[in-house]
Amino acid sequence: MSSLKLDHLSKHYGEAVIVRDLSLEIANGEFVSLLGPSGCGKTTVLRMVAGLIAPTGGKITIGEREITVLPPNKRRIGLVFQSYALFPHLTVFENVAFGLRRQGVKGVELEKRVKDALALVRLDAFGDRYPRQMSGGQQQRVAMARAIAPRPDVLLFDEPLSNLDAKLRDEMQIELKRLQRELGITTLFVTHDQAEALSLSDRVCVMAHGNIEQFAVPEDIYHRPATAFVASFIGKPNRLPGKVASRNGAGGTVEIGCGLTLNADRLDVAAGGEVELFLRQEAIELRTTPAEAPANSIPGTVQLRSFSGAHVQYVVRIGAGTEIVVEAPSSGAASNLEKDASVFLAVAPANVFALAAKGARS
Amino acid sequence: MSNWKAGVLLFGPLALLLFGVFLVPVLLLAPTSFHEYSPGVGIVANSWTLENYARIVTDDYYREVVWRTLYLGLGVTVSCLLLGYPVAYLIVRGPARLRLPLTLLVIFPLMLNLVVRSFGWIALLSNRGLVNNFLIQTGLIGAPLKLMFNLTGLMIGMTHIYLPFMVLMLVAALQNVPRDVEAAAATLGSSRTHVFTSVTLPLTAPGIISGSILVFVLTISALVTPRMLGGPTYKVMATLIYDEYMQLLDWPSGSALSFSLTVIAIAIIWASSRITKCWAGMA
Repeated sequence: MSSLKLDHLSKHYGEAVIVRDLSLEIANGEFVSLLGPSGCGKTTVLRMVAGLIAPTGGKITIGEREITVLPPNKRRIGLVFQSYALFPHLTVFENVAFGLRRQGVKGVELEKRVKDALALVRLDAFGDRYPRQMSGGQQQRVAMARAIAPRPDVLLFDEPLSNLDAKLRDEMQIELKRLQRELGITTLFVTHDQAEALSLSDRVCVMAHGNIEQFAVPEDIYHRPATAFVASFIGKPNRLPGKVASRNGAGGTVEIGCGLTLNADRLDVAAGGEVELFLRQEAIELRTTPAEAPANSIPGTVQLRSFSGAHVQYVVRIGAGTEIVVEAPSSGAASNLEKDASVFLAVAPANVFALAAKGARS
Repeated sequence: MSNWKAGVLLFGPLALLLFGVFLVPVLLLAPTSFHEYSPGVGIVANSWTLENYARIVTDDYYREVVWRTLYLGLGVTVSCLLLGYPVAYLIVRGPARLRLPLTLLVIFPLMLNLVVRSFGWIALLSNRGLVNNFLIQTGLIGAPLKLMFNLTGLMIGMTHIYLPFMVLMLVAALQNVPRDVEAAAATLGSSRTHVFTSVTLPLTAPGIISGSILVFVLTISALVTPRMLGGPTYKVMATLIYDEYMQLLDWPSGSALSFSLTVIAIAIIWASSRITKCWAGMA
């Protein structure tokens, strides 16, 4: 029906390159997130798809239609903004009816389709209200109803949940996912919140400096980061410099100083090469006895303990001057270690990400 | 309680000033407007009459001046709006490098004295003024057009003088329109024209109302420009009131006209803001 294809898309402002030669294909009905820090160009990509910014080069195609130079009103897209962008002078009903009226829908049909759209976001009873009489979460649901009512080919979301408080954001995430699955509309979702991107998307596209760093399913993004940037951006990683000591098949051993070594399952750098190591706080197990091979086991001493509800965070010193942050479940065995306690950090070789240092976020 | 005190302290000085030098003198005029005036004698003491007000409605000459004033106010307001909106739009939405020069261009006339500006229009619009001379010499017209001492002259001069107020109000209003809301309309299928009429225009309604009220009130109460461009014969309410007071010394009649002008202005402001608010869905 309507896939979305970006073909060598780029955007320059004079010398400044915002988006660089970006190609991306989203299948019909697929939910893809553009994830990255602010300034990585993700919003620019979305606005180019919406027709609000003209690309400097490249091609945008929806299904078989090339839309690169079409004005926004001819693209058949729905856009949900971070600021909601509801029409303040129109009622909720008229907000949702706006796009339908533009398509020439009227009378009973109009009434029905607006009601259906409002029912989808569970706001059936709010048609007569004005946006200013509603909470932020309700306003954003109206904005979603308004975007989906005209049945667009592609739905675009520009950080739609970042103006909401944490609890409401979680509820809205679930609602959004349910809605998108129900409707099966091809969706491009822009966010800087990794949990949001991972939980909502079929595939996630991690961007940095106008480039795609990795485009993969959420599990791969999390468990198999392709670049040092992705490894540093996703999760809560500890970062260590290292040097490849030896290779062994796809993996190998990395020295991290003070005579300590770590085994990694995957290693793209030849022996002797410099790498950056990323160890996720949540992927390290704290033990009082050494771990069995093949898991890595590093001795250390507890420097600091910090309790935060579901988790306990420890700062553990290994070697001479290296400190590692470890996140342990607060109900587990390692939830109550004292300062200066001797511990062992157990890390599976699959969770040791050793990547070439180039392109990492500093 | 402390809020209330702070409010009194902040508003107090202005309230006192307005009360002492505006409200009290105006209220002192109220009894005057109900007195009889006898030429050569002056205000007749202990005489009470509604004649001064009745005359404004019944006398053809007075009625014509009232209608002319309102018509002029409306005309100047509409032409300021029509001429000012595109300029304001260009200032807010146009290229950033045009913003400062355009704003200065709009504000610059305000730095010139009102008399000088009005006199400039006399030089342009009179029978032997620049405009007529140019049109006659190029052969477009045979006899000079009558551009002064009539509605045309007043409209041209006063539109020019009050345009900056309208533009500045509209600039403020346009700056408050969120670009995302316009973009949302565009993605929902609105052409650029439809985005303007269905979103931008209603969202700038507050600025349109306040700009229009300002220009309307300034126009119907203006004295200097109508005096200079209208001459001694083509009168509006403000010039008529001035003459009643200063030349005929008919204070009762002048007071009655002043009150009528104020009441008309307030009524029209109230009605127009109600209508516009309904239109913009803000009521």
